[in-house]
Amino acid sequence: MRKSPNIRRSRRVIPALSVLSFLALFLAACAGGGSSSGNAGSATSANLTWWGWSPSVQVAQQYIKAFNKTNPDIHITFKMLTIAGYNAAIRPALASSVGPDIFDVAPGGANGSVETYAPDAIDLGPAVSKALGSDWQSKLSPIGVSSLTIGKKLAAVSVGAVYSGTVWINQDLFQKYHLTPPTTLSQWVSDCATFKANHVGCFVQGVGQTAFNEDTLQAISDNIKPGVWTNAIAGKVPWTDPTIVKALTIWKSMFSDGIMEKGALGVQQYPDANNDFLAGKYAMVMMGTWYMQNTTTAGMSAGISGAGISKPKNFTAMPILFPDVAGTGTTGALYGDSDYGIAVNAKSKNQAAATKFAVWLGTSQQGQAQVANALDDIAALKGVQPDWSQISLVNAGSQKAALDKLITSAVSSSEPRLATVSPNLQTAIGNASTTVASGSATPAQAAATLQAAAAALPDHGAIGPTPAG
Amino acid sequence: MARQPSAAAGRAAPKGRGRGPRRPSGLPWILPGFIFVVGLIYYCIGYTGYISTLNWDGVSPNPQSVGFHNYDTLFHDPVFWDTIRHTVIFFIVTFVVQTALGVTFAALLHSRVKLPNLYKVIIFVPVVLAPATMAPIFRQIFSATGQFNTILSDIGLGSLAHPWLAQSSTALPVIMAITIWEWTGVTFILYFAAMTQIDREILEAARIDGAGGFKVLTRIVWPNVRGTTIALAMLSVIGALKTFDVPYLVSLGGPNYATEFLGTFIYRISIPTAEVGYGAALSVMLLILSLAGAIAFGIRGMKRN
Amino acid sequence: MFETRRLSSKIILQVILTIMVIPFLFPLIAMVQESLSGQGWGNYRAVWALGVVPEFFRNSAIIAASVIVIVYVLTMLAAYGFSKLHIRAREIYFWMMLAALTLPEVVLLTPLFSTATRLGLYNTYYAVVLPLAALQIPFAVLLTRNFVNGIPDDLFDAARVDGANAAVIFWRIIMPLTRPIAAAIVILTLIGAWNDYLLPLVFLQTPSTETITLLPSYFVSEFSDDQTKVVASAVITAIPEIIAYLCLQRLFERGLTAGALK
Repeated sequence: MRKSPNIRRSRRVIPALSVLSFLALFLAACAGGGSSSGNAGSATSANLTWWGWSPSVQVAQQYIKAFNKTNPDIHITFKMLTIAGYNAAIRPALASSVGPDIFDVAPGGANGSVETYAPDAIDLGPAVSKALGSDWQSKLSPIGVSSLTIGKKLAAVSVGAVYSGTVWINQDLFQKYHLTPPTTLSQWVSDCATFKANHVGCFVQGVGQTAFNEDTLQAISDNIKPGVWTNAIAGKVPWTDPTIVKALTIWKSMFSDGIMEKGALGVQQYPDANNDFLAGKYAMVMMGTWYMQNTTTAGMSAGISGAGISKPKNFTAMPILFPDVAGTGTTGALYGDSDYGIAVNAKSKNQAAATKFAVWLGTSQQGQAQVANALDDIAALKGVQPDWSQISLVNAGSQKAALDKLITSAVSSSEPRLATVSPNLQTAIGNASTTVASGSATPAQAAATLQAAAAALPDHGAIGPTPAG
Repeated sequence: MARQPSAAAGRAAPKGRGRGPRRPSGLPWILPGFIFVVGLIYYCIGYTGYISTLNWDGVSPNPQSVGFHNYDTLFHDPVFWDTIRHTVIFFIVTFVVQTALGVTFAALLHSRVKLPNLYKVIIFVPVVLAPATMAPIFRQIFSATGQFNTILSDIGLGSLAHPWLAQSSTALPVIMAITIWEWTGVTFILYFAAMTQIDREILEAARIDGAGGFKVLTRIVWPNVRGTTIALAMLSVIGALKTFDVPYLVSLGGPNYATEFLGTFIYRISIPTAEVGYGAALSVMLLILSLAGAIAFGIRGMKRN
Repeated sequence: MFETRRLSSKIILQVILTIMVIPFLFPLIAMVQESLSGQGWGNYRAVWALGVVPEFFRNSAIIAASVIVIVYVLTMLAAYGFSKLHIRAREIYFWMMLAALTLPEVVLLTPLFSTATRLGLYNTYYAVVLPLAALQIPFAVLLTRNFVNGIPDDLFDAARVDGANAAVIFWRIIMPLTRPIAAAIVILTLIGAWNDYLLPLVFLQTPSTETITLLPSYFVSEFSDDQTKVVASAVITAIPEIIAYLCLQRLFERGLTAGALK
């Protein structure tokens, strides 16, 4: 028997020690607020960190390089986070004292929701006003400003906006089979039948990723009767409104009439539907203005080879208006919000430099020209159009006019897309779209479920600024 | 030091614990690991328990205390019960199939077959691959026009072709199949290690007695790896409850929540919807259910001894 | 394990094994195909051209090695304690450890983050190594304890009769005989640590600390998702793990024939 006396004593001490040690950790973590206030820091020389899910790494580096032409001593490191990982990473980072100086926010309730993170950002209104003058609000796209203003604070400067409501087609495929882009539901159905007879996919959508279904439903609803959708979001009109039910009915018919691809419920918009369209397997896809990046030779080649095609052959991608599926003659609705804005962390030690970058990117001619030329966002600064002489389009003859028109129409639209939809409402709308698509609910039932869900939410699930009209 | 196997070593050793005061105390041996794990993780458990009583979005400075309201919501949430149902089915199917495959592969690769390393690598590589990268590939394979349906029609079973991930009825089996593909390598490695403890003499004796492969597998190998099976059952229960990557990345928990699990539900609630309090309550439920399941298997394992 | 003396049984076994393995092989082929589609080897060149692969690789290696060392040492000690030594209320300690395994990683992020920043560990290896090790230990202890249970008690009794104390027994009996399970634990811990994505995403800020699992995020942006390069990154990430597995397999099999009980 060799139990040493030490062990007997330690039998009591050690469990006590373990309890103490974890209590210590617990208290260390919980104790105190731990928030340090930020500093203005130098406005000419700093090392900044920028966290965002947008733009892509290459485009971000382009922006930073352009910025460094006039601000060579402000070094910015862009940390690219995936959309899915953004909230998980940014929340603790902002709560700590070592978070990024600059971070992306977006309107609406998805990743980087401006409503959630506005308290962590400084008010950029004064800086923007200094840069553009006291009438700065009229110089910037109203959607960009309103959707990123929380209370009286301009929480972030919008970099650019994206709009939805368009359908993109592969013009080469249409020409090959002597078809014209559909303008009515029956033409859409017959175009699809022709494509199918020739073993080409017609229309592809990632119905599994419900956010994009919302776009399609909004397009159909706006086609039936403009304004009902945004009123339903605001709670001014119930979701059981006949317009919405009709929209859901037409949505359902897209599945039974052969427009939607087979198995659409199991497909995700990115990467599946996007790749399928770029690989030339389908002739149509519903994407918004961000798809303009696929009209450039470089952008399209990168996209096609990213879809797995080894010898990318660029084709002419063209935006068309959403077909007049309801036969009302009201087409061309475009709805959008700020794609993302740049916010400055209230705890940043380099607020002056960070603000300088934010203001440059969002409000200066040079910054906004960069944004416009990248083509995934439409510039927030009014009057900035892409410089086509610097952009190499796949088919300038067809595309340039169409893109110019698209940009002009978009900029004059004030209908919000996701800015006023809370995450729970977005889920509820998504559920309506998928239950109707799978047939487990009729359009009327789905609308009723959606209404019940929305009514149970604070403010009917609407957030942010009240939509116009 | 005597190293001869005693006569009793031929079968799985009797677990002669509690043989009285001759055994030195194990406490100082387990304490470093115990304190390390408990110290780091328990504080997170405590923190989660605390947040589960709040109505909070994880960021704003004024969380609202709601006591057990989140738990009440939870029990009335049909999606929660859906996740439980899916988890039970998922656990049973994946555990049974993975175990059968793991044991069989390990036994086969303990025999003298050609190119054993090649087979081992093929079975093992899926374990190593991050689900995030395989998800789009699997969506492609199981899509309505994907390779799986193509192969089915090539071998004449074209009538069985379905849009697998688009239907609530077939989405869960696909998720289970992908999970089995991913994790059989783990059961394989562990059974392979466990089988090294099986005495060759017994196998020889059985073979001389004329026992075929199947009998060897069921009468000798299987009982001797019981411990591993129990351990894997416990881990599988916890894993099934926690499972997140495959159902989230392949089918986003859909269509229509057909592949929603507690893990995906918690993620969806906590991050995009930022209902951190409710997510925490769900996490506490997950913890309780995992422990209950693990203890159930653990006790069963101990009783038989 | 199975009889392989007759040619017919040899063939049957090989055929069964091959048929069983085909469904496992198929997605792997699809994956390699995907990584070589589009730009083909250009995908790998593009990943390499990012310039961060060697650094990320080094960071992943350091993190994984640290986690393995911590897990291996603490697990072996604890498994011996749980299995062959006397502890009052042993099962309670054991279940308490196992409970740590049950939480999904996403739930751990916020509490871990506050601790890490308060302790000044943000953007250091510790912030990732310590939680990862803590999460792997219960799992490893469960498996190793079970394995050690299978070592006959007679060995220990004989050793104690010869005058060995617990530490000597640990070193002379446990360590050599647990090589098979040790190899399994090392492999599984390596995979857990090497593949972890969420903790490096949140806690590691700069390329000097970031891990190889963060490679794909260079190719996934808001409106584009270059799967070919993502899969190429995944292949690059997987290769060291496969090599480690093959080396460890050989190592532990050698250990078996050398110091084996049988």
